[in-house]
Amino acid sequence: MMETDIAVGSGLKLTCSRDELVGRLTTVARAVSTRSAVQVLLGVLLRAEDGRLELAATDMELSLRASLPAEVEAEGAVVVPGRLLVDLVRLLPAAEVSLEHRADEGSLRIECGPASYRLNTYSAEDFPRLPELEALQTFPVERRALLETVSRVARSASRDESRPVLTGILVRFESGKLVMAATDSYRLSVKETPLTGAGPELEAIVPARALVELGRSAGGGETLELGVLENQVVFRTEGVTLTTRRIDGQFPNVQQLLPDAFEHEVALPRGEFLDAVRRTAVMVQRNSPLRLRFAEGELTVSAQTQDVGESRESLPVAFSGEPLEIGFNAEFLRDGVDSVSGDELVLKLISPLRPAVIQASGDASWSYLIMPIRLAG
Amino acid sequence: MAHLDLDAFFAAVEELERPELRDRPLVVGGDPHGRGVVATANYVARRYGIHSAMSSAEALRRCPQAVFVSPRKSAYSTYSQDVWRAVRDVVPLVERTGMDEGYLELAAAEGNFMRARELAEAVQVAVRAATSLSCSLGVAPSKVVAKIASDRRKPGGITVVPAGKEADFLAPLPIRRLPGVGPKSAARLEARGLTTVGALAALSDPDLRALLPGKYGALLRDRARGIDPRPLELSGETVSISHEETFARDIVEQGRLAEEVGRMASAVAERLQERRWCARTVTTKVRYADFSIRSRSTTLPVGTDDPERLAQVACSLLERALADRPGALRLVGVGASGFEPYRQLGLLEDG
Repeated sequence: MMETDIAVGSGLKLTCSRDELVGRLTTVARAVSTRSAVQVLLGVLLRAEDGRLELAATDMELSLRASLPAEVEAEGAVVVPGRLLVDLVRLLPAAEVSLEHRADEGSLRIECGPASYRLNTYSAEDFPRLPELEALQTFPVERRALLETVSRVARSASRDESRPVLTGILVRFESGKLVMAATDSYRLSVKETPLTGAGPELEAIVPARALVELGRSAGGGETLELGVLENQVVFRTEGVTLTTRRIDGQFPNVQQLLPDAFEHEVALPRGEFLDAVRRTAVMVQRNSPLRLRFAEGELTVSAQTQDVGESRESLPVAFSGEPLEIGFNAEFLRDGVDSVSGDELVLKLISPLRPAVIQASGDASWSYLIMPIRLAG
Repeated sequence: MAHLDLDAFFAAVEELERPELRDRPLVVGGDPHGRGVVATANYVARRYGIHSAMSSAEALRRCPQAVFVSPRKSAYSTYSQDVWRAVRDVVPLVERTGMDEGYLELAAAEGNFMRARELAEAVQVAVRAATSLSCSLGVAPSKVVAKIASDRRKPGGITVVPAGKEADFLAPLPIRRLPGVGPKSAARLEARGLTTVGALAALSDPDLRALLPGKYGALLRDRARGIDPRPLELSGETVSISHEETFARDIVEQGRLAEEVGRMASAVAERLQERRWCARTVTTKVRYADFSIRSRSTTLPVGTDDPERLAQVACSLLERALADRPGALRLVGVGASGFEPYRQLGLLEDG
């Protein structure tokens, strides 16, 4: 990997548009580490070069870069505290901003109309080297397809750092389609999205956080550029570049986890069922289970927390056979029902201790598998 | 209900582990040549007037031949867990108020004090069989009376105070024995000639208000009369389960530390499974060579009782602690809390 040279000691000096600076900086600052013990990761790297001001931030898991045109008087690089810079730039009074790094006094001077600031800086030398992207080969990917697929699975990803693989989303481009899957081991979301053009051949586990961030920072445009660089995945859109590390490891075998036969397939109106789940879940505390009891023609949703109280609500459903009672984590069930597109969903069940699957009626392109809670007694 | 109090608990554990100390005056506590205090003294030492909270230096003065040992909390905690497991086998509903004391729900024997005594005896036998430790119990209709009663015939005694006899039982006791009467209130009461619990119980409203104004006075007089509406707090019964060990030699190698943490996580998981609980919060505690302690916790979205999962989380917390401050460790511990009586099934579990 080539590494970026940074001229040390020279002080950058430039003038640029306040609005452009605010726009780019707000995007890039999302990658600023929020609780790092490493001071420089709390900063944004500013680099003036070739008539542009480049901004970069990273928390070591994901990095964001963007640039804007600037009138560069002197090239150079410096790191300034990210949050502080965002806060003050937003308030600047005039349309033009000038920045000057005074290496000798270790500060960045910001002048804008009548306002002036002096910010203490960090050394650009200490800033992590970000991957050099000049030679990167990228593929165009339909932006909407990518982001929509992320949004249908991201909620199932784990936030638990002790199982790194599960904090990622499995991203796989196959011929004519994009498949993503995420699981925290209690539920699993899988989404297949058809692609119009030919996509790249690629399979990677990408941190869910980075993909969700991509949705926030990838403005408009039809396509995104996607590239892979050793252990990094790179997304580029309209002047913003997001890089994130690939997660090493073996993602659980999704096909094996999805049951292929069920005892019951119950159709439910999405809106009414979601409301019933929400209302009933009010009585859920300390992860007590939400109970679904299916009997001839009726579903009863109930919850009970010891020393707190209980809730109960019934709705008519097309169910026949022996009654079946199954418990779920209320939040997991709500996430699943909420993520259904369309007015009707199908809840597929085997038995109280086996996985259940939620899909939109007549559409198998998205599945939400949810493991039950074992009910006492 | 009943109050159970282990007899000279720390000292009894030391005697069990070092039988040669059994007939000698034994003091568990701080350094008698420094500023330590007595945690517990065995019954031999008590004959010299040594008692808890006395300075160790004073204890040494009273009994120069006494053996002093420093407290080993982790050993006591292991014994304590065995004690309470044995108690629960006889009486399932228990409010532990300390390592060596707690209240037992004897609702099964309500109103039948012969039956209550039998239960208390069964508890004593179970505790002795499981741990060789001796305990005393007080059986009474309320917490305050049960607690005082458990202290009445130590060691190894059972005192039953039937309903209606509470005030009579309490009346002759010195005022300072009533839980809730601190040195200040005691001094104030004694200055007015009120030296017994019975005298406090007999105070009229105006006298009580003059002496001990506010709600607290009324509460203390109620207790002096044996009236104590506090129920057993069963939900807060066990807030955490933990396992920790001090190593024979400090360990610096991370792989070995992870192994130890894994072993302790398994022990914690086993105890969770015994109770059919899952825990949401996992804590790893480390003690460095210089005795400073650090602990790191995390709360999972879903409780677990799985030893591997607990080990995984506990090890990542260990790594976090060591990243903040590397160094050799003399102790590691794994704790679990935030219990829930449900078991969220996992997709990736075996079976």
